[in-house]
Amino acid sequence: MTIDTQALILTLKLAFFTLLFLIPFGIWVAYHLASMQKGKSFLEATLALPLVLPPTVLGYYLLVSFSNVTLFNEPLTFTFTGLVIASIIFNLPFAIQPIQRAFEAIPQDVREAAQCSGLSPWQAFKLIDLPLAWRGIVSAAVITFAHTLGEFGVILMIGGSIPGETKTIAISIYDSVQNMDHASASGMSLLLLIISLLAITWSYQLTSKKRAA
Amino acid sequence: MLKVQLQRSTGFPMHIDFECAPGELHVLVGPSGSGKTTTLRGIAGLSDVSGVIQCKDQVWLDSAEKVFVPTHRRSIGFLFQNYALFPHLTVLENVSIPLMARKQSSRDEALRWLERLRIADLANRLPSEISGGQQQRVALARALARDPHALLLDEPFSAVDAPTRQNLYEALSELREAVSLPIVLVTHDLNEAIRLGDRITVIDHGKSLQTSDPHHLLDKPRNARVAELVGSPNLFEGLYEEGRLSWGKRGLSLSVKDKGKIKKPTEVAWVIPSHSIEILDSEEEVNSYKNNLIDCQVSRVRQLGQIAVVYWQVKDCDDQIVWQASSSELRRLGIEVGAQKKIYLNPEQIHIMPIKFHLKNT
Repeated sequence: MTIDTQALILTLKLAFFTLLFLIPFGIWVAYHLASMQKGKSFLEATLALPLVLPPTVLGYYLLVSFSNVTLFNEPLTFTFTGLVIASIIFNLPFAIQPIQRAFEAIPQDVREAAQCSGLSPWQAFKLIDLPLAWRGIVSAAVITFAHTLGEFGVILMIGGSIPGETKTIAISIYDSVQNMDHASASGMSLLLLIISLLAITWSYQLTSKKRAA
Repeated sequence: MLKVQLQRSTGFPMHIDFECAPGELHVLVGPSGSGKTTTLRGIAGLSDVSGVIQCKDQVWLDSAEKVFVPTHRRSIGFLFQNYALFPHLTVLENVSIPLMARKQSSRDEALRWLERLRIADLANRLPSEISGGQQQRVALARALARDPHALLLDEPFSAVDAPTRQNLYEALSELREAVSLPIVLVTHDLNEAIRLGDRITVIDHGKSLQTSDPHHLLDKPRNARVAELVGSPNLFEGLYEEGRLSWGKRGLSLSVKDKGKIKKPTEVAWVIPSHSIEILDSEEEVNSYKNNLIDCQVSRVRQLGQIAVVYWQVKDCDDQIVWQASSSELRRLGIEVGAQKKIYLNPEQIHIMPIKFHLKNT
């Protein structure tokens, strides 16, 4: 049994960069969605598309739109940069929804009390909204992290399976099975299962603490 | 001085006009959906209203000039119905927030406010760990810590039990001795309005119908709707002509103080305050009055603890006069169901007003 450590490290790196960009962006979008009055259904539906779209379909569209596009002189298809951008896109609903729910759960009068206390919108966000929504933010980070570890269809479409560049652990598992190396596949699958289970358990614990509080 | 003039002709129409001087407690009272809370929130910049709002020397809203100062720049203290404390912050931190917004050294000042409202011992507790009444004191401390130019109270006493309410009434009256601010309070409870208010504005369907001191409001409502809203028990209709009021189907004739405002015979609504209704006990008393004596019979007596409400059926008329007295007064006058008495209605106290709609039969 061999664990593809290169793929494991690459996957963790991908998850790290996804979180690094997606969580601040997700907070920004979720905060505005939570306080939007009109026309948010369409926006919400668009952001939720990755939840219902088959990953290969999403991957295909990303592949088509990323071809001939470069970022800092680097192509976005079959590169790690492209993978990070794709990962941010397919994780949008997983990051935004928990944060949005957390902002929406803040009572309207508490938000108004912040304004009436003389806090500017930025001060109110920093001192009131953000601390009250932190559980939602942690929960979003955990789910995004776990989801990035396991994503397969989109990654394969946009990144292929280039070792050290775009080959994540999920793809490595698939390759092992193709090569009839069931011992490695099962070892890596178990590893993914344990990491995901621990992450989700932690996130659920946070949520249940919120319910108790 | 806080000046509020709101106008809107589209959507939910609004015509609200009142002023509140420093040190004055001004109560906005009206049924639910009348627009009183919208008005209060409008003063804070929390609801979309148009018109002019001025406080001290600042203009907070002037729709014609396109002036709108956002909530956090209006110097207000707002007390929310459900306190709206910041749940993740301690009592001390809650009160420090407005001071931080003013970039002041907040801790000592916040503690001073807690001491003033006698809740300093709760400084390190979270809102969820203290009682409703205590939460309200924290909310009041937080509202005042901002050193506001106006204090706005949104039904602050409706969510607490009676002893706590009593306690908060006292906190409010102590506060009024200490600071001289315009205070606007919204309530649907007329008794509360009368008890607390220096002046009251009655609001109905987005309109301010009358602004006056509580007693004037009760004794001399501007029109029949105000009388109904303030719950005048003795609100009737009649035909007025030159100092005489014709009441009921047989046309009981009452003498009324003629202010010379109404020239021709006019249908009017009229009220008489309960304290101006005199039950006559002896022939001497009856003989001392020349007019406005009416024959009545007790149709119902309702005991409410030490107070009794007596319903007098007026002879030759469908209306009933409602009169309140103590139980001992009732015994002294020998009042029970079926008793017949003459009642004197003081002409000076009969208040006549325009009738805008036909009153419901009560």
